[in-house]
Amino acid sequence: MTAVETLPTIDFVAPLPGFPEHRRFYLVNIDDSGLVFSLTSADDPELRFLVVPPPPFFPDYTPEIGDDALAALGVDEAERLLLLLVVTAGETLRDTTANLMAPIIIDKESRRAVQTVLAGSGFPVRAALSA
Amino acid sequence: MVGDDVVITVLDVRGDVVRVGIKAPRSIQVHREEIYRELQAANRAAASPSDSAVRTLAGLIHAGDKS
Repeated sequence: MTAVETLPTIDFVAPLPGFPEHRRFYLVNIDDSGLVFSLTSADDPELRFLVVPPPPFFPDYTPEIGDDALAALGVDEAERLLLLLVVTAGETLRDTTANLMAPIIIDKESRRAVQTVLAGSGFPVRAALSA
Repeated sequence: MVGDDVVITVLDVRGDVVRVGIKAPRSIQVHREEIYRELQAANRAAASPSDSAVRTLAGLIHAGDKS
């Protein structure tokens, strides 16, 4: 098992809104499913976000990533991107939601990331995870 | 075509480079600020969930795992 310290960090080219001080994160498996990860701050391990890839939770979610976001990561096509959704975990399943309006996009090659805002897309900030 | 309220003016053209000015009503700017604030709030609410909340989420995953 790889120690967390040896994982290459993900570098946010712009900080997550609400957390201007944190740019470097590790992506850590929560369990063996490969479906839930913890995006943990490299500088403050107390800060972490639960994130999930869209499928299988949102199989029809195919957002159009804007050119600005692609340019911010230095990529010219969306195929190299890993998409992760920030989850707000409630104490019950019914309270657990994912943010479809602002996915985190990560360039797999450079490990640069940004949380891109799909304003006007109609995607909810809080989409129920339990279908 | 950006919308009825948005005025785009060509300010300068030099070879391939076109500089434009965009005048949008205040409501659009306010809208963007609102979205940003909402996103800030959503991120803060999502940050550092309790261990029991994490267990709930892991349970959700495995409940769907009927193989």
